[in-house]
Amino acid sequence: MQQLTNEQLDNLARDLDAIRDEVMADVGERDARYIRRVIRTHRALEIGGRAMLPFGFLPPLFIAGTASLGIAKILENMEIGHNVMHGQYDWMNDPSLHSQTYEWDTVCTGDSWRYTHNYEHHTYTNVIGKDRDYGYAVLRLSDDVKWHPGHLLQFINFTLLSVFFQWGVGLHELETERMRRGEIKLSDKREVLRDLMRKGGRQAFKDYVFFPLLTFPVAPIVLAGNIGANLIRNLWASNVIFLGHFTEDAETFSEDMLEGESRGQWYLRQLTGSSNFTGNKWMHILSGHLSHQIEHHVFPDMPAHRYREIAPRVQKICEKYGLHYNSASFASQYKTVLRKVFHYSLPDRIRTRLQAA
Amino acid sequence: MLSVFENNSAMRWLGKQLFNREDPAAFFDPILSIINPMMVRGLTPARVEAITHAARDTKTFHLKPSPRWSGFRAGQHININVEIDGVRCHRTFSLSSAPAQWEQDGTITLTIKRLPGGKVTNWLHDRLETGTVVGISEAFGEFDIPNVEQPLLYLAGGSGVTPVLSHLVTLADQDYRAPVTVLYYVRTQADEIGAETLRALQARWPALTLVIHRTDEDGPSALMNEAHLEQVPGIKARHCFLCGPPGLMDLAQDLLGRFGIREEQISATFFTAPTPVEVSEPLGGEVRFAGSDVTVESEGDAPLLEIAEAAKLNPKHGCRMGICHQCSCRKTSGTVVNRLTGKASGPGEETIQLCISVPQGDVEVDV
Ligand code: FES
Repeated sequence: MQQLTNEQLDNLARDLDAIRDEVMADVGERDARYIRRVIRTHRALEIGGRAMLPFGFLPPLFIAGTASLGIAKILENMEIGHNVMHGQYDWMNDPSLHSQTYEWDTVCTGDSWRYTHNYEHHTYTNVIGKDRDYGYAVLRLSDDVKWHPGHLLQFINFTLLSVFFQWGVGLHELETERMRRGEIKLSDKREVLRDLMRKGGRQAFKDYVFFPLLTFPVAPIVLAGNIGANLIRNLWASNVIFLGHFTEDAETFSEDMLEGESRGQWYLRQLTGSSNFTGNKWMHILSGHLSHQIEHHVFPDMPAHRYREIAPRVQKICEKYGLHYNSASFASQYKTVLRKVFHYSLPDRIRTRLQAA
Repeated sequence: MLSVFENNSAMRWLGKQLFNREDPAAFFDPILSIINPMMVRGLTPARVEAITHAARDTKTFHLKPSPRWSGFRAGQHININVEIDGVRCHRTFSLSSAPAQWEQDGTITLTIKRLPGGKVTNWLHDRLETGTVVGISEAFGEFDIPNVEQPLLYLAGGSGVTPVLSHLVTLADQDYRAPVTVLYYVRTQADEIGAETLRALQARWPALTLVIHRTDEDGPSALMNEAHLEQVPGIKARHCFLCGPPGLMDLAQDLLGRFGIREEQISATFFTAPTPVEVSEPLGGEVRFAGSDVTVESEGDAPLLEIAEAAKLNPKHGCRMGICHQCSCRKTSGTVVNRLTGKASGPGEETIQLCISVPQGDVEVDV
């Protein structure tokens, strides 16, 4: 990990706090209008998509309906749900945009997400053993995890995780890997399991039972459209998230670094453990601005559309302290993720030889 | 039409499944609010029909609530809900109109005085326009007209007269026969709220005796004192209503006590508009955790999360450093200072993060 002196760390914290204070003092009407507009777009896309799908026997309407519903789900999960639950809009004092009560359109319950993501992942970012989002406990992405032959097949896991991402995230808090190791029992997770069944059932009921049955004669078409929409969302969301922390240059940390960590050290860990990808405005919005993962990790509760505006300043600060500001196009970041998944599926001896080459 | 998601329990259940929210009918609000804001379900909408001058720095807002609003009794308050700079603000005000008016033409009025430095009252005065839709709550409060006819005495100060106006119009309409005396304390004539209504009532309703004391114009004898009360015939047998600023209320309680009037004979509305604390106010104060009915003193050296834990409470939390919002909860009153930004919150109801909020004065939170 890149090292800074204590004095540099304090200065780093001061520089970043200055950006934060400036933006947070300015947060107001513009941000409220922005998120309301996104929410309106979401409603229009969802209603439109569901209205079009029953006419999906006409191929163009099937494609439009599926895409519309898929994009609605992406917007709701990424730019609305994820960001609202981070408390980015708590200051609006609007009960339907409150971080602690918001419930989103995916299998994972809001409560479970608030715990595993907002708290665990954002506090212990990329600390192996503490941040379970690192590899989602199904991927081996660093040599801190001992290799075993099963890892050879991790490309399959990787694909499955992408395709069934909403279920993977939903199951995350169950900590099945710890159950397999016998550290916890299923009964320890009774509540998590109950909530998961309820929310998973609700999602499956809505998309795979209710709306298809509502349009009975064309049920198969509606069902196919809904499956398609969920798939689009799963693929996009999982890849955006992988790109945020699994790229080759995103650093990982060990647990002993957490001891007595200062604000500056925490900032440093967030800056160097995250990676951005570039793109146009719509790429940013559809990724919930996680394309600005670095900015998001330093300021998780700042309204996300502001990340775009402050990115140049954060990059300057990184340059000032000689830190690597990890940003590249979607395609090239994606390539490094695939390479990492591949490399760490191999035994260490072969991997090091490959990496050296 | 959307009300089926509120009133029919099967549909409500279904709505929750489909829209992932406890108030499924409000799912469509973002779209409805552009089509017609009176159609939203997330709050009870009311349209501003007119805004009129009431007194110096005081305006009367004439509102027409949506038909699903359930009405009120004379003397009650409502919360009004407006969006200022993207922030939803609630404030409580007394209704100054009579229920009969609402029954007749569906309108209600709030008479609101500008508070120096008050974010909401100033915004209402300067920015709220006719035709806008605001949110209102159901009416609440127990400042009720007695069921049995009996002599009444009102002691009102400044803008505290607003619920009294609602009472008086209602009493006059039902041709109340027992004597009713109103002692109304204002600074100057320009500050008299509802002066026309009061004079008109005096002219048509013989039971009413109205005395207005202008404390800045009429000299020291106009300040509330024993002599004023001595002139109220049969004061001992009267039911008394107090409404005004805290100083006046205390004084009135005290004087009435001296006249041998018992507590049960007094109805007071202690409601006063919350005022923002002075910047210089020291940190610390009394902290009330409403949900668990615990009250503790704070020295202002610790955030609310630690205060709650010291009081053996266990509020939900995560990072303890202001990033995860696991500790966010509702502050119902009081001011807190955000440790990260050093900024003070507003005085009203809002969401705060316990782990970085230090009380400044008395605070009540929902823990
Ligand atoms: S405990 Fe994480 S923000 Fe307060």
